[in-house]
Amino acid sequence: SSSAASTPSTRCAGSRSPLNITPLYALSGLLLTDSVVFSVTSCVTVVLLQCSEQYFFLILDSFNDLYTSYVIFCILLMSVVILVISIFNVEFYAVVPSIPCSRLALIGKIIHPQQVIHSVAHAVMGMLVAWCAAVMTKGKFQFLAVPCTPSESLDDAVPQMCLNEHHLFFLLSGAFMGYSYSLLYLINNMNYLPFPVIQQYKYLRFRRSLPLLVKHTCVESLYFVRNFCVTYYFFGYIPKVWISTTMDLHIDSKLHPLDTLTGLLDLSLFYHAWLCGVFLLITWYIVFLCFALYNTTSDPTFAEETDQCLPKILNSNPPLIIKFLALQDLMLLSQYSPVRRQEVFSLSQPGGHPHNWTAISRECLSLLSDLTQRLIAQQEAAAANGRAKQPAGELKVTPQTPAFFLVLNPKTSMSSLVKSSLMPLKTSPGSDVGSPFSSPALSCKMGILDVNSPWHGSVQSSQVTRRGPKLWTSGSDLQMNGSHHESFPLLSAAGVGSEAVQPRVIYTWLQNKQQQNALISSQHPEASIQAVFSDAQMHIWALEGLSHLVAASFTEDQFGVVQTTLPAILNTLLTLQEVVDRHFKLPHVSSKPPRISGSLVDTSYKTLRFALRASLKTALYRITTVFGEHLNAVQVSTEHKKRLQQFLEYKE
Amino acid sequence: LIVNSSPPKLTSEDMIAAFSQAVDWAGCTIRAFAWHPHTSKFAVALLDDSIRVYNSNSATIPSLKHRLQRNVAAMAWKPLCASILAVACQSCVLVWHLDPTSLSTRPSSGCAQVLSYPGHSPVTSLAWAPSGEVLLSASPVNTAMLVWDVSTENCVQLQWFGGGGVTYLAWSPDGSKVLAAAPSAVFRVWEAQMWTCERWPTIKGRCQTGCWSPDGSRLLFTVLGASVIYSLSFSEYRGEMQGQVGGSKTASIVADLSETTFETLYGEERIGGEIHSMVWDPTGERLAVIIRGKKEVLQTVIAVFRTRNSPVFELLPCGFLRGECGAQPQLIAFHPCFKKGALLTVCWSTGKISHIPFFFMSAHVPCTSSSPSPVIASTSVCE
Repeated sequence: SSSAASTPSTRCAGSRSPLNITPLYALSGLLLTDSVVFSVTSCVTVVLLQCSEQYFFLILDSFNDLYTSYVIFCILLMSVVILVISIFNVEFYAVVPSIPCSRLALIGKIIHPQQVIHSVAHAVMGMLVAWCAAVMTKGKFQFLAVPCTPSESLDDAVPQMCLNEHHLFFLLSGAFMGYSYSLLYLINNMNYLPFPVIQQYKYLRFRRSLPLLVKHTCVESLYFVRNFCVTYYFFGYIPKVWISTTMDLHIDSKLHPLDTLTGLLDLSLFYHAWLCGVFLLITWYIVFLCFALYNTTSDPTFAEETDQCLPKILNSNPPLIIKFLALQDLMLLSQYSPVRRQEVFSLSQPGGHPHNWTAISRECLSLLSDLTQRLIAQQEAAAANGRAKQPAGELKVTPQTPAFFLVLNPKTSMSSLVKSSLMPLKTSPGSDVGSPFSSPALSCKMGILDVNSPWHGSVQSSQVTRRGPKLWTSGSDLQMNGSHHESFPLLSAAGVGSEAVQPRVIYTWLQNKQQQNALISSQHPEASIQAVFSDAQMHIWALEGLSHLVAASFTEDQFGVVQTTLPAILNTLLTLQEVVDRHFKLPHVSSKPPRISGSLVDTSYKTLRFALRASLKTALYRITTVFGEHLNAVQVSTEHKKRLQQFLEYKE
Repeated sequence: LIVNSSPPKLTSEDMIAAFSQAVDWAGCTIRAFAWHPHTSKFAVALLDDSIRVYNSNSATIPSLKHRLQRNVAAMAWKPLCASILAVACQSCVLVWHLDPTSLSTRPSSGCAQVLSYPGHSPVTSLAWAPSGEVLLSASPVNTAMLVWDVSTENCVQLQWFGGGGVTYLAWSPDGSKVLAAAPSAVFRVWEAQMWTCERWPTIKGRCQTGCWSPDGSRLLFTVLGASVIYSLSFSEYRGEMQGQVGGSKTASIVADLSETTFETLYGEERIGGEIHSMVWDPTGERLAVIIRGKKEVLQTVIAVFRTRNSPVFELLPCGFLRGECGAQPQLIAFHPCFKKGALLTVCWSTGKISHIPFFFMSAHVPCTSSSPSPVIASTSVCE
């Protein structure tokens, strides 16, 4: 800290100051970590490979050929596979999970080109792993082409080459598993990097997750093999025939074909396919586990070797993971490190400005008020939706009705239109049919907005024709809201002309479609709420960091830098508290977290909102407990003062 | 009493009785007691598996009952929170969310969160992080202690091998370290940042109880079957020494409470024996100890010591506390925020609870007490 004092007034008191954060942020990419990850994982997997060979594959065979060139080539190939898998991990990881709010959105995600590439690559990798496994298992699995079993009648004939269906089965099962892995990776949000509840060393965390990983893999491999057998039973003949024709191989009539019931009831085949699946999944999961561990653990040992520091990182616009790590670091320093806290409360050398504190508190407060705004918007959308829903049952008296009919030609189709457009209102007033094209982005981000009033459907029809269905929405265009407000003028513009009948046609078409698509397009309320809170981990850390710093400032802040922002902090926290309270009172919002099964698939993002609620309250109590009656001197609005008093009396 | 026997042979009730901090857990009407860390509110677990919550500012006494709330071994209020109570039950940990403003006397069981983990029962000890973020739970049959994020019901196992399960937990008031006692002759001290631990084998038996000084730099503990208090000092916690517990090489004996004859107003009395539980007041100036005399010969008494932690550790006898005739002390606890000194709460075998204030000027927190007098004002002690 002595060097910090002597450095000029850079924003972050010196390059070697204790406010430095880990080099993860410093290096603009994740290359370093990834290389470390790779080296570790390749070691682990090579060891694992050999173990699994020794224990599984070669039990059935001799140990003699372990180090033949085949095996060495296979190990090299496996390393390449692992490298490719790591590259995919780096490309696809996310700290904020993207949660599909409806089945339609999920399908959209699955057929997204990026995901297709992911799936295809994984299928190919799976096939390569299966090939390695087949080659090393030897026996009947080793080669694709084998000499046919000689038949009695043609003893003198040249031995023909036949297709080894076992080998083909193996390869295809590998591809199938690779594809399934990729699909589950997407559906379960396996790319989400979960941050741990408590800090622990990487090795310990790794060791802790290992038994779970093995168990999960064994079970999952079993399911995959079962599914593959079913698939092969129905479609196995296609690749078989294709391969045999293109490679000019015969099909051995003596051997039992595998795409029959009796052929698939081969225990040895099933066992080998399962083992191969276990092997494949274990290596891939370990690669991901190491990647996740390396990127979510802040490593204290490097802290001195970087010239990036916390306030600077927070105020710039870094990649999301770096922002996450910076906030995690803020939480840790505020809780555990008096020396680094001192740095936060310090003044810049010439000038005497609390740059560090200003930067940190500003960023945290802006994060928290962003969340407040988002929640308010969601609640308003939900309330508006509730209002829109009410008249749907009562019909006729809705204020929009006359406005809508004015734009249509009154002579031609008034009565029929009234009938046709009101009929559905009678038939489906309360049904929770979400309109499939009612701008999925909006309704998703806005939570439980199930735009199910038929008015909405009709009103949006013109918009739909203009825009066309949007099957996938990336995270960036999730922010456009209020599109259903502009739809009224749009409609009138479309209706004024000669195409007065068109809305009706589209409308009825839409109604039909709606019923068909109800199953896949209905909004899942729980998923939408999860989506609103998907990045809440940042806010939790901001809350913890801020509250610990404020609490520590009571005794440690020599210059009183925190005092100046205390009203703003209290204001933000109390407002957020109100909004969060209101959120949990909305319909559809469960007040208890869903049960998390102790599986490998991390679903902690599903419960982030509960963690946020708890840490918000704890943060407020942390401040009120330390400051006590002194808070009465802080200038806040009377409403907030009342709330604070509640906190001071432990009645919240 | 069961010493060093392997836990699975016992029924879970025996196990709780053996490891509970209550002197006679199986027979006494009061099984567990917990002060709220910030307000004058406490919870009492009774023999009939119900829990009553008493509040000095309110006449309503909520009674908590839950289908899973059986054989309560310990309770703990969440710090930095108004009214969340964790209860260690036979099969799970229940977390009650009580509304502090509610006037209801029977909160529904819907207010309780159930935290269960396979193989983690019975739960015999609980400890909240002083920062209120996580909850630790321990079971003598499970080698892992669990770190719960209560809001999400997510848990992390802290596994160790050797020594059996975990019987008793004590989190240091500064939040830096956790004592975890095992059913065998070993205990561990975890540091609560990176969760690494130091292993402390004891010579005689398992660690029965322990308590921390307010700054977390000293641990006093006792060993089952011995009548001495050991002290273990830790290097001062600085936060920069990540992942180190920093304990000294050996523990030293600071008090010997073996049988001695005392001259009292009523003639000679023999007092002394095994130490069953021990609490240290939040200012670090009074230490109360339940000394369990041998059956029929010696009675169970509470000994109070005056203590000082800095610059050097001092432990001076202060006096004994005895209940009404026939009443044995069961549980002791200090009020966590008594302004005028220390307030010791004693639960007696008769079912009575008495509060015994000690008025003194604390060197740590200067308070505005009018009459600083280092005397024991015994309210319900019959002599």
